[in-house]
Amino acid sequence: MSEENWIEVGSTDSIEEEDLIRFDHQDKTFCVYKLTDGFYATDGICTHEAVHLEDGLVMDDEIECPMHQGIFNIKSGEALSPPACEDLKTYPVKVDNDKIFIKID
Amino acid sequence: MKNNITILGGGQAGIYAAREIRKNDTESNIKILGEENLLPYERPPLSKDFLLDKKKEEDLYFHSSDVLKNENIEFENISINKVDFENKKLFAKNDNVYSYDSLLISTGSENKKLTLDNNLKNDIYYLRNLEEAKKIKEIVSNKNKITIIGGGFIGLEIASSLSQLQKKVIVIEIGSQLMGRIIPKQIADLVQNTHIEHGNEIILNKQIEKITKKNGDYEILLNDNTLIETDFIIAGIGSTPTVKLFENTNLKLDNGIVTNQFCETSIKDVFAAGDVSNFYHPFYERNMRLESYQHAQNHGICAGKNIAGVKTEYTSIPWMWSDQFNLNLQLTGICDEYDEIIERGNDINNGVIYFFLKNNKIRGACGVGIIGKVGRDIRITSKLTEKDTIVDKQILSDQNLKLNKLIQK
Ligand SMILES: Cc1cc2nc3c(=O)[nH]c(=O)nc-3n(C[C@H](O)[C@H](O)[C@H](O)COP(=O)(O)OP(=O)(O)OC[C@H]3O[C@@H](n4cnc5c(N)ncnc54)[C@H](O)[C@@H]3O)c2cc1C
Ligand code: FES
Repeated sequence: MSEENWIEVGSTDSIEEEDLIRFDHQDKTFCVYKLTDGFYATDGICTHEAVHLEDGLVMDDEIECPMHQGIFNIKSGEALSPPACEDLKTYPVKVDNDKIFIKID
Repeated sequence: MKNNITILGGGQAGIYAAREIRKNDTESNIKILGEENLLPYERPPLSKDFLLDKKKEEDLYFHSSDVLKNENIEFENISINKVDFENKKLFAKNDNVYSYDSLLISTGSENKKLTLDNNLKNDIYYLRNLEEAKKIKEIVSNKNKITIIGGGFIGLEIASSLSQLQKKVIVIEIGSQLMGRIIPKQIADLVQNTHIEHGNEIILNKQIEKITKKNGDYEILLNDNTLIETDFIIAGIGSTPTVKLFENTNLKLDNGIVTNQFCETSIKDVFAAGDVSNFYHPFYERNMRLESYQHAQNHGICAGKNIAGVKTEYTSIPWMWSDQFNLNLQLTGICDEYDEIIERGNDINNGVIYFFLKNNKIRGACGVGIIGKVGRDIRITSKLTEKDTIVDKQILSDQNLKLNKLIQK
């Protein structure tokens, strides 16, 4: 695993629990979540239509798209409820010195 | 026990019911009878991304034929034209007869038609299915000035799509605001302004007196003597449940097929779901009929459970959306039973929501905003409605305060 793929997102206190922040890197958008058991990251755009998930609702381990209520599991990216049927890509996350990093391939 | 389960109507409620039955019953035969020569597909994109060419036909199907095959769900393309509930039989136009043990009716709804001279019947277009969407798409490619009769959701979505295809669009609405009285006037006005900003002309409070064909184009005369010249007319003036087939039977009808909270009709072993059903909602303690994507899905699933013997009440809080230009409008609950209205936000860029309360509890809400801006709050509202909690009105009205705070776990 090469070090340079880990991108710093921000400090751990920049996200409230059961919430998310949007993180843009180069031409891509990600969502980084703080759940009760740690931090997670997914693509920032819904797989149904090109809508930002940053305005979605985080509930338990799920993110619900604000546009048509498609639901994804944050940890696995699995599309759980239509109209979303294509899974969301997820990314590894690590915390180092109170900073969150995500690994982008 | 192995039963013959038949689903009449191969749309959204039908397919969700079929798959839910299979989840709970691996033995019975499940057969969907659908008059469209297509596997069940999503209708919402027909007036939006399909017209805009952002979605193709293959993007619309709920499932591939492989999914149905794997789950042993049969789909037959056939139109049923007679029902004998007493002997549990369905008759098709081609004389085929289908026997059932349990029947789900999910025949959806159909567009109301304008009453016009016979010679104009084929000139006015309506949008309900993929075939009609394809026709409209093909014809508008050669037209410039298009008139939409009816300022409801579907008419306005078509108006938005055609405007994005650089067409000159006129919308004629008989009422005093767009989208009917169910939508707060303030929200209807915000949507109207967006249409006007994009060049669409909106005419309210006007009735059509006469439509005349002239050299392949049309002249529409309104009741104030305004004359509109146009080269294509699409009407979206509402819809009615598809129940003609049952009119001379014992099946109880009243604005659709009357069902209880278990999707059961007045006839034993006959269920109904989706647009066609006027169902009892235990939370609102009344019957209602909904035409929405989320309802067709959840009601279909609920009917599927009940048909498979898993007795389940339908308690889903209503929700629907409409996308027009860069706006997303959402409606949850019911907005016609209230003693107080609370407004949240006043700028469409951040989202504007109207909450409808009764006895300090939310009964419904309607919001509109730039894409993504109202969904989360509307979703939280659905949850608050479902929990039937007394809400802090300060939080509802102040956009700086997050609504998440109101949900107690
Ligand atoms: C253009 C359009 C845009 C929409 N946009 C939105 C939106 O943005 N948001 C939203 O929430 N909802 C939207 N809806 C509503 C939503 O699509 C419907 O509520 C939903 O499709 C209803 O599902 P259903 O299964 O009850 O009926 P349908 O999906 O209509 O399926 C009924 C099926 O039964 C068949 N059938 C009827 N009679 C017979 C018979 N005698 N024999 C055999 N088959 C028969 C019909 O041909 C049809 O295929 C839209 C609808 C349309 C038409
Ligand atoms: S855009 Fe996310 S569910 Fe439709």
